[in-house]
Amino acid sequence: MNPQLNIKAIAAVTAACAALLLSAVPCFAQQKQTPPAGGPPKPFTVPAHETYELPNGMKVTLVPYGNLPKVTLSLVVRTGNLNEPAGMPGLADLACKLMKEGTTSKSSKQIAEDSASMGGAITITAGVDESDVDTDVLSEFGPRAAALLADVAEHPLFPESELPRLKNDALRQLSIAKSVPQSMALERFRKILYGDHAYGTVFPTEESINKTTVADIKKYYQGNFGAARAHLYVAGRFDVGEMKTAVATAFGGWAKGPSALINTPKVKAQHVLDVTDRPGAAQSVLLVGLPVPDPTSPDAIPLAVTNALLGGSFGSRITSNIREQKGYTYSPRSEISRRYHDAYWAESADVTTQFTGPSLKEIFREIDRLSKEPPGDTELKGIQRYMSGLFVIQNSSRSALIGQLRNVDFQGLGEDYLKTYVQKINAVVPADVQKQTAEYIKPEAMTIVVVGDKAKISEQLVPFAPAAKQ
Amino acid sequence: MQNSIRCIASIAAVLAMGWQEARATPPAVELKVPVEYYKLQNGLRVVLSQDHTAPTVCVAVYYRIGFRIEPKDRTGFAHLFEHMMFQGSQNLGKMEFIKLVQQNGGILNGSTRFDFTNYFEILPSNKLETALWAEADRMNGLAVTEDNLKNQQGVVGNEVKGAVINRPYGGFPWLDMPQYANSNWYNAHNFYGELRDIEAATLTEVQSFFKTYYAPNNAALAIVGDFDPVQARQMVEKYFGGIKQSQLPAVPDLAEPKQEKEKRASKVDALAQRPAIAIAYHMPERNTPEYYAMGLIDQILVEGDDSLEYQELVQRKGLTAEVEGGINYLGNMFNYKGPMLFMADFKTDPGTSPDTVVTAWDGPIEALRTKLVSKETLDRARVKLRSSLYDSMGAIGGFGLADLLASFALFDDNPTRINTLVSEFEKVTPQLVQKAAQEYLRPENRTVLVLETKSAEGPAAPKKN
Repeated sequence: MNPQLNIKAIAAVTAACAALLLSAVPCFAQQKQTPPAGGPPKPFTVPAHETYELPNGMKVTLVPYGNLPKVTLSLVVRTGNLNEPAGMPGLADLACKLMKEGTTSKSSKQIAEDSASMGGAITITAGVDESDVDTDVLSEFGPRAAALLADVAEHPLFPESELPRLKNDALRQLSIAKSVPQSMALERFRKILYGDHAYGTVFPTEESINKTTVADIKKYYQGNFGAARAHLYVAGRFDVGEMKTAVATAFGGWAKGPSALINTPKVKAQHVLDVTDRPGAAQSVLLVGLPVPDPTSPDAIPLAVTNALLGGSFGSRITSNIREQKGYTYSPRSEISRRYHDAYWAESADVTTQFTGPSLKEIFREIDRLSKEPPGDTELKGIQRYMSGLFVIQNSSRSALIGQLRNVDFQGLGEDYLKTYVQKINAVVPADVQKQTAEYIKPEAMTIVVVGDKAKISEQLVPFAPAAKQ
Repeated sequence: MQNSIRCIASIAAVLAMGWQEARATPPAVELKVPVEYYKLQNGLRVVLSQDHTAPTVCVAVYYRIGFRIEPKDRTGFAHLFEHMMFQGSQNLGKMEFIKLVQQNGGILNGSTRFDFTNYFEILPSNKLETALWAEADRMNGLAVTEDNLKNQQGVVGNEVKGAVINRPYGGFPWLDMPQYANSNWYNAHNFYGELRDIEAATLTEVQSFFKTYYAPNNAALAIVGDFDPVQARQMVEKYFGGIKQSQLPAVPDLAEPKQEKEKRASKVDALAQRPAIAIAYHMPERNTPEYYAMGLIDQILVEGDDSLEYQELVQRKGLTAEVEGGINYLGNMFNYKGPMLFMADFKTDPGTSPDTVVTAWDGPIEALRTKLVSKETLDRARVKLRSSLYDSMGAIGGFGLADLLASFALFDDNPTRINTLVSEFEKVTPQLVQKAAQEYLRPENRTVLVLETKSAEGPAAPKKN
């Protein structure tokens, strides 16, 4: 078969003998035990949950779960950086920060103390497509937490007095975030892939932060927050009847608000090598990838299996190669990064400066190998069992359950998605993995972003520049 | 139109809140964690805790060897060694341990802390025996090579570069502060390791470290999740029962001398764009009444946005956006055994002098030292503490609970402590809070570490090609 594998097999045997000599046990005495297989698998179903709609259009999902006396409430509103007007990146984030500074009936300190006295805190964060108003409290306070969450979401005061301080905080955080090499790489990668679309902007600008006014924030809030765009998820230990009553009382009067904006970018692969100089850097930060079919595609699950086998798990091919064989890096990984009906595949790794070129070479070598030859049955079965087991873990905590359910709702994957997920994972055959790799994970179409010491890596990168091809 | 609807809704909400608050605080929902604890003949401490919520099981092996007591000329060795435990044992070659867990549907990891090194996996519950066999196999002996060591020296070197050298605020303050605040080498060395020490380690040292510390009488095994306890006991005996004990060396003296003078230090971080400050106080000894009081003081001062320092530094003074803080930055207030720091840190602005920040910080500290804390504040701290304790227990797949149970088995020989912790915090009085604050939040008991940027303007912005 693959001559490389044979050489490795011999090397492994030699290595084992060397180790045994060290521990003074004769090599031939070695008869390795086979691990015990364990018992028959137990059935698993995603914990039962109930979804319903309030008369104003707000959706509610209740998931009684677990033994710990805690309950998580997560209000997901379909708005985020995607909904910012042109030239105002970061407005959604500032709006979320200012929302916490008081409601028409409670000061920020009262909100903080009220939530803390339930064992939680209110956190409000803006994402690209969605914003979250969350809290996580002791079970006995579940209904009261629903009331506080509703007050914060529905009746923000947006006090003028607090905005200058929050803008200064945002400027400080911006300057820190932009000096983190992984964030620098992500900023370049997204810009190259998405251009002027909101998905292409990772950071606000000093200018956009400075010019934001309370009027901008109020306008953004009024244009994007409302019951019709909100979905409340409640998971943990709570009384379903009491919670339903509390939710109806707290959120029943929220105005519907405008409907959600759909603005999915049309993305094309951009084959470029983009280097940001960071003189003296001990490592090069690599981010290498390209757009792939979105989560609603029939290829999404076979592609997820392919990713786990190629670079998305500890035992995956790329990680085995550049970490466990070569020692170039500590935590390499590939992932399929998703937004609304949009996805890209990317491998990220922080590699020792002097091995920047060799790391890229090995990453592409592993992709190439998988696109030319299907994986063995055992290797694929192993990955499928890994993903099946992971699915159970991903549905076995309050926050993980909410994560699963909201993803299905957000992407519109349908009721059956979680029920048939494991079955679909296990239906993938070796030829599918090869086909997915060849069709979608194409090195010749990839964006290669490197943040590192240019003087030391330029030469190593020459073979990966598009112009150098052919 | 929209406004009037809002207005009505807001009145309804206020009424609802008023009604809720008028009621007495509802009774706490009780939690009793099932705990079975016993020892094997060879000294291995075993803790079983059933939870059949999900068909998963967590197996965690804790060895009582942390980075504190690694060899003096080999900083970072305990952590490098942790990596070697994944490189091969009698029956599992390189990558085989990792693949065994993954191919059975599980996840795994290991970590090195002040007073232990842990290894754990979370698997579908029918794979409990597989996990126990694999953990026993590597407790039985390592089969690692020069190549494995060289490879992991590369990996660990990259880990240190990524976490410390190549990023702004790398190692600040979690790795830096113990080196400034402590004076006993065991507590005060660079435990992630100098690169030259990591590179100098030899295979003989790896084997000898294993022989010295990786023995059943220096370990605890916790099993948490969906399993049958009778079967689990049989499996544990079958796979771990035959592993030989070792003669453990005496634990060196880890004590820190009482600090009588405030320490101030600064470091320059060439990659940082904004200055930062960390303040750390030596903790009272673990499990004393003052220790529990400090657990509540941590909640009162720095945990959450109702905390006194958050209100002071963020809300009132606008000196920073976040107050990070806590007891034991590499874990929680329960999973260590030795001298420890209560610490807080925050990022500030170029124009803000460290003295301004420390003076602001001292406001709430002095209030705690001079006045009795109100019942309302103390009650809120207890609620927050209980909530965060449950969060620690609830961490992924039973691992959070396993961590606490294994720590209590190793350090206290008593994992059933898990069920009496809350009552220890109930005993803390306002008087005890004040007494603990007076003794442990003394300025003389603290170290202030200032992180400075390279120049007032910060380093040049990165250049684009």
